[in-house]
Amino acid sequence: MSATAESVQERRAALKGLGTSRKRVEDARFTQGKGNYVDDIKLPDMLFGDFVRSQHAHARVKSIDTSAAMELPGVIAVLTAKDLEPLNLHWMPTLAGDKQMVLADGKVLFQGQEIAFVIAEDRYIAADAVDLVKVEFEELPVLVDPFKAELPDAPILREDIADEKEGAHGARRHPNHIFTWEQGDKAATESVLSEADVVAEEMVYYHRTHPCPMETCGSVASMDKVNGKLTLWGTFQAPHVVRTVASLLSGIAEHNIRVVSPDIGGGFGNKVGVYPGYVCSIVASIVTGKPVKWVEDRMENLSATAFARDYWMQGKIAATKDGKITGLWCHTTADHGAFDACADPTKYPAGFMSICTGSYDIPTAYLAVDGIYTNKAPGGVAYRCSFRVTEAAYFIERMIEVLAIKLNMDAAELRAKNFIRKDQFPYQSALGWEYDSGDYHTAWEKALESVGYSKLREEQAQRVEDFKAGKTRKLMGIGLCHFTEIVGAGPVKNCDILGMGMFDSCEIRIHPTGSALARLGTISQGQGHATTFAQILATEIGISADDITIEEGDTDTAPYGLGTYGSRSTPVAGAATAMAGRKIRAKAQMIAAYLLEVHDNDIEWEVDRFVVKGAPEKFKTMKEIAYASYNQAIPGVEPGLEAVSYYDPPNMTYPFGAYVCVMDVDVDTGVSDIRQFYALDDCGTRINPMIIEGQVHGGLTEALAIALGQEIAYDELGNIKTGTLMDFFIPTSWETPNYETDFTETPSPHHPIGAKGVGESPNVGGVPAFSNAINDAFRAFGLTHTHMPHDHWRIWKTANELGLHADS
Amino acid sequence: MVLEEEVQIPLDRNTVFHALNDPEVLKQSIPGCEELKQISDTELEATVVIKFGPVKASFNSNVEIDPSQGPELFKLAGKGDAGVAGFASGGADVHLEENDAGTLLKYVVNIDISGKLAQVGGRLIEGTSKRIAKKFFANFEEILLQRQT
Repeated sequence: MSATAESVQERRAALKGLGTSRKRVEDARFTQGKGNYVDDIKLPDMLFGDFVRSQHAHARVKSIDTSAAMELPGVIAVLTAKDLEPLNLHWMPTLAGDKQMVLADGKVLFQGQEIAFVIAEDRYIAADAVDLVKVEFEELPVLVDPFKAELPDAPILREDIADEKEGAHGARRHPNHIFTWEQGDKAATESVLSEADVVAEEMVYYHRTHPCPMETCGSVASMDKVNGKLTLWGTFQAPHVVRTVASLLSGIAEHNIRVVSPDIGGGFGNKVGVYPGYVCSIVASIVTGKPVKWVEDRMENLSATAFARDYWMQGKIAATKDGKITGLWCHTTADHGAFDACADPTKYPAGFMSICTGSYDIPTAYLAVDGIYTNKAPGGVAYRCSFRVTEAAYFIERMIEVLAIKLNMDAAELRAKNFIRKDQFPYQSALGWEYDSGDYHTAWEKALESVGYSKLREEQAQRVEDFKAGKTRKLMGIGLCHFTEIVGAGPVKNCDILGMGMFDSCEIRIHPTGSALARLGTISQGQGHATTFAQILATEIGISADDITIEEGDTDTAPYGLGTYGSRSTPVAGAATAMAGRKIRAKAQMIAAYLLEVHDNDIEWEVDRFVVKGAPEKFKTMKEIAYASYNQAIPGVEPGLEAVSYYDPPNMTYPFGAYVCVMDVDVDTGVSDIRQFYALDDCGTRINPMIIEGQVHGGLTEALAIALGQEIAYDELGNIKTGTLMDFFIPTSWETPNYETDFTETPSPHHPIGAKGVGESPNVGGVPAFSNAINDAFRAFGLTHTHMPHDHWRIWKTANELGLHADS
Repeated sequence: MVLEEEVQIPLDRNTVFHALNDPEVLKQSIPGCEELKQISDTELEATVVIKFGPVKASFNSNVEIDPSQGPELFKLAGKGDAGVAGFASGGADVHLEENDAGTLLKYVVNIDISGKLAQVGGRLIEGTSKRIAKKFFANFEEILLQRQT
């Protein structure tokens, strides 16, 4: 190896660019308790708001008496719908084209719904005053079961739109019906099903759960009446969207609104939506002329801000006798709660549920989704997944298992037999997507080999024998999953939210001394953007990642972007970063050529510098170029070194992965013990392997929570039964197993650096892997499918129903 | 939620039945009862404070009693409003059977709880309700026996 080659390597390493396990620059402040979250914001004369919420799931509000609350010293005002009506803010638009009450307008539709907003000098007074507001209710029949929504005796929930036959997503057939969304070829699929050798059917329920970020939602609004400027700090995954919506709602010009997302303590989709608390804090600040803070508590977070999932997926899958899948049919009943507040791109009221053909080459498919109103909290957000992709992945990965049982075939073999082959990419799916790239067989073989799959099956068979012989009370489950995600929304031609195209952006400023500032339209909630985006840029422009500051979240300074959710930051804003970096490099090339007194074409880029071709000793580093760009008159070139890129992706990206979960299940206690979890992820080009691993660990743990116990459960009166962390399962280190991570690398052909996004893959793939393991443990005893969440009680019940207990 | 229990009281059925209709006895027997007003022969208004784990709730309750099938059966139905803490509604059927030891009361109580109480105290409601019912009959018996002496 020559000295020059070594030095190239050293210089490359010094950049800490793509592929480096660079330590997270954010962690210095987070690990020292120096983060700056919404609740850390303290302004002079700041007031506090708190909500009076509904205790009923469905009731008419006959009167609201605020007089006792107003008499409490320190209470400034109590807002009700009557106060907001003159401003036309008693209702607000949702991201899904519906509208939602900001404060109860005549009735309440879910437990925890906002009724009145108390503004007081401190949060304790506000909480006391909430208790003093007297609300008179007239209880109405409650609808919690979406399958009863259209029965003759069903109560009509949304009287405001009861007579409207058309909603934001087409025809409505009943006042409690929101939309029907159809994809694929219904007639062709039905014909395939009727002629198939084998058809497996199952109802797959993905229960209602909640992202439950460690930091709850909140905002601080400060209206400066002198200069007419509103500043709004809040837990926003999409600050620019919030600014635009706030401007449209309030009538305040967009340039007079500054929205800031400070540090965010986890989002997972919960912080995409616009909530009544944000609107009320703004109104309260306008009314009082003082800053107003609203921060919800844990119960409010779980019961009123956006939930996730709640999809009842009725499936039919058709195959030949030897296991070649010929068709897939799915009808989903989607429980959206009282208002349709899903955060999906406008044209996709069920998100990307149509990715439900998964990793398989299924020639014919049909999907229909019916959105239904019930007396539950609104939401339906993408909880650590791209829009409804977790539901889709869970559905197909359960249906594959159900089909394997019907065919009496090994589920791993059935998958391999039906994977889209490497040579079929770009692959056009039956439900309308163009998968950009993939190599499923390679990943699958690597996964099966790594876990010693055939040995595991032998051990499992022996265990069944031992169980039957009375030698053990523990069964063994092998949970397989091969998922394909669709992330990076998305191309403006088919992806928008409230009409706002889902591009993203990056603006770069190189300083004269050769360090840089890059601002993006996204916002980190723990993903480590300040670390990884600097790495993308380091490789593109040859400045060390340590010398690049990443800024996000302040709409006064950051370029417009649609925010961070649906694994879109790397696919979209990451692409914008690379493209802006390339613009910097193009200008730098002209400057370098001038300085080196050669033609532009006579120099080439090498790690951190432009080098004269054939004369490696003649070069200009990016640092030198940056200085010259500001301080040297270069004919025909403007001073300075800045660039901006707004990136509209040509396609989504399609990360995939192969997961295997091995579990022991105690038949008598229902306790599941995860022995091994292997996760192979292919997210294309890997920017920071350490952050990927961290993302996978976190996502798997959330998947474990969902699959094994976490749920938002309602009783028949519409009471939330899991409204505190005593009942809502959050795994601790005690419940969390060891994870083995692995990877293959299939770069996205259309992304500038080939990256695909990874933050959500482990949740998408993890849930089916855990659930399949539980189901698989009982396969030998006749179980086809049992619903999540697989908590100990439900597992025990399954064992009991299968007659595995001595007394059952 | 449905509670089914029975309790033996060493007094004759008529005495027990009349006591169940006596607001003063009820007031002293209901745990946490701060106020009880008789509105009419069959309507009562009560303020009852109950602690469900961390939540202390003061219920303003309207109760309707139905003694028409006495002394074999005493029925009541009611609603309680604890403001932001939640609401309760329900009823009780108390069957009174004469036996050698006095009267056997078999009661079936139906309670629906909504609101914050149901959320926070969900797992505590059944235990608390059972405890309250037990305490009620213990107090009830004590008062009646005191009156006898």
